[in-house]
Amino acid sequence: MSLALNRLSEERKAWRKDHPFGFVAKPSENTDGTANMWIWDCVIPGPKDSLWENGCFPLKMLFREDFPGTAPKCRFEPPLFHPNIYPSGTVCLSILDDDKGWRSGITVKEILLGIQDLLIHPNERDPAQAEAYNIYVRSRDEYERRIKEQTKRFTPQTPKT
Amino acid sequence: MAFDPQTAHSIATAKVFMVGAGGIGCELLKNLLLTGFRDIQLIDLDTIEVSNLNRQFLFRSEHVGKPKAEIAAQSGLELCPEAKITFYHESVIQAKFNVKFFSQFDLVLNALDNAAARSHVNRMCLAADRPLIESGSSGYLGNCKAIFKGKTECFDCQPPAPQKTFPGCTIRNTPSEPIHCIVWAKHLFNQLFGEADPDQDVSPNTADPSLLVDGQNGTGHHNGAPHQNGSSPTGIASTVAISTREQAVSCGYNAITLFEKLFRDDIAYLLSMEKLWEKRRKPVVLDVQAILREPQAILQEPQPLDSDRSNGDGGSTAGDHEDKRVWGIGENARVFIRSVRGLKASLEKLGNLVWDKDDEVAMDFVTAVANLRSSCFGIATLSRYDIKQMAGNIIAAVASTNAIVAGFIICNAVQVLRGNQSGCYNIITRMFRDAVPATAPKRRIRTTGVSRLDVPRPGCVSCSERVEIGIKLRIASITVKEFEEKVVKGYLKMSAPDVELDDASGKIIISSDDAGEGKNRDKPLAFFGIQDGTRLKCEDSLLDDYEVTVTLHNDDHLAEDTLFLPLDAHVEGELAQPTVEPFEQAKGIKRKLEEEILTPGMSGNKRVALLASNSDAASEPNGNGNGLSEDVIDMSHRF
Repeated sequence: MSLALNRLSEERKAWRKDHPFGFVAKPSENTDGTANMWIWDCVIPGPKDSLWENGCFPLKMLFREDFPGTAPKCRFEPPLFHPNIYPSGTVCLSILDDDKGWRSGITVKEILLGIQDLLIHPNERDPAQAEAYNIYVRSRDEYERRIKEQTKRFTPQTPKT
Repeated sequence: MAFDPQTAHSIATAKVFMVGAGGIGCELLKNLLLTGFRDIQLIDLDTIEVSNLNRQFLFRSEHVGKPKAEIAAQSGLELCPEAKITFYHESVIQAKFNVKFFSQFDLVLNALDNAAARSHVNRMCLAADRPLIESGSSGYLGNCKAIFKGKTECFDCQPPAPQKTFPGCTIRNTPSEPIHCIVWAKHLFNQLFGEADPDQDVSPNTADPSLLVDGQNGTGHHNGAPHQNGSSPTGIASTVAISTREQAVSCGYNAITLFEKLFRDDIAYLLSMEKLWEKRRKPVVLDVQAILREPQAILQEPQPLDSDRSNGDGGSTAGDHEDKRVWGIGENARVFIRSVRGLKASLEKLGNLVWDKDDEVAMDFVTAVANLRSSCFGIATLSRYDIKQMAGNIIAAVASTNAIVAGFIICNAVQVLRGNQSGCYNIITRMFRDAVPATAPKRRIRTTGVSRLDVPRPGCVSCSERVEIGIKLRIASITVKEFEEKVVKGYLKMSAPDVELDDASGKIIISSDDAGEGKNRDKPLAFFGIQDGTRLKCEDSLLDDYEVTVTLHNDDHLAEDTLFLPLDAHVEGELAQPTVEPFEQAKGIKRKLEEEILTPGMSGNKRVALLASNSDAASEPNGNGNGLSEDVIDMSHRF
């Protein structure tokens, strides 16, 4: 059992004990029905009172062998329209950058909350996709329209009663 | 070497396992035989390469391509025909080299070159409770130490130094050093010709570039390539990205089209993100047609050979000078075009390629791409030789370091066999480049420091005490459900268990998350790759501190009505048999650990001796130890 897996199993325990409302984070499923500790399936809820509210945004967290020496890759699947999310879906955020804000003590919970916060606070100085970035700097109205539309697509249908 | 008769006897009868037959391994095997060891098993999965021959002296040029383990054993027998040498040409990380296998040895000696195998052998030795001598070298740095379960620091006690990586934003958008462009070039290679990792995407954006022009939905296209349009019928551009690979396939790997995408369109795209360039130098786009129209660049004078950087991995050849010349931009462009064609052909023939610094075409590609990208960003271009060193993370191997390390392995090994654990040391050898004082002529001074072995780190995932039990069962027939109900819940008394494979796979067999819902619970353990000797980590998710590692022993002769049998200490002497119930035992360990952590004065890497091995180097530079104790901790993980 490597250091990384041991830490991940700790993370898992901590998450089960306590996690923020609306979030999901758990090891993904292998084809044979077992679970894979290296790749986690997560869901980030859109922050309340924002254009993202009610949206549920699925994200994969990919850990490497040298975790927690290095940050996990976090990738929205499918990719999102957002200035700091690469076209591949990968999140560009300082705490996920080994050379900038990543520290080995950062927990899965902190990462997910950090990404949730990034959704409503794009960082103009670190654009990752041109589409959202250009719209964001040129027309805030257009940007907000796009976000609303996106949130709608990611809002789960509530069964009719 | 002269030993007292008792030591000589223990050496002659000791059964040792040598892991690795490379740089240190060759020296070590020779040392073992000359010291009097006669029962040696060795393992190495590599084959011999030309570049090994300058220091791995058990191999000759006629052996190139043959297994290292086999030839090392053969050469060893020539040196000492009466020895018994068994060899394995395979990976040590295999289920067949299980705890039982490791238990047969008196001593295990690591002569490895990678952390994964080191960590694995470390854990196997801990599980089998066998002493391990760990060693490594990196250039002039060398290290050797002994690991005794529960008594001294194990390989995993200190966290590994993270591999140097670069932030994605720097690689993709704003490179500022040659290495950034080299990393990008390797990523591009994988994108185009290898197993693409979406996180190594090289493009700033792969959506239709016409989006840039009007900031609206894409209507344009370029290069006539049938690009998937980034717009949806509703007039809202989706963020579905077209991968670099798809683009390459769609243009049939046309080198000119690829060049224009990579060094013109993508750069233009980056330029459109103005914020990026407020405080940075703007990149320039390359015009491939203009570059190719230029006459062939006049061959530049070869760069002077840097004698300090003699490549330890292979001798000087006629191509060296050419390799050390920095190409002009026209040459880079031509090499790019040529290598894309070559790699495309290999891709069609062989399927996905794996980047290898020793593959000429792949190395040409990375050199040209890195240099072309550097040209865009105003970064210095480098020679193929320099780029190879950086791209391949090559650190020159130094034969003398290996020899010194192998010598110390023997010193530690002999102490182990004498039963004198306190006679084992943590040894570090290194080279200082500059003499003291600064005004003195520069020279190299090798110093070797010896320090006492550290105590284990409390709570280390590999060596801290935990409950280990063995269980006999029929792996091919017992289902996950039966295992969970009868063994984990019944025998181990766990109410909401998590069961994981205790290896690097990160596979969770039973998860308390989806109790009862997990698929394939009626499949036998064997279905999940579990076999004789597999270790399972079982944990109760409702309790903080109840964890048991179970080693599975296949036994097809169990009585019909017996599903499993806890291993009896009398039957299987190697494995710890709980004298109390596992649950009680875990509680006991936790109490003990808490006491240990609270006990002061546990740590401390006491330096006991410093030896200067170079006689003409005054003891001056070593006098203060130069922070040796820190180095000792770091080193073993760095090789």
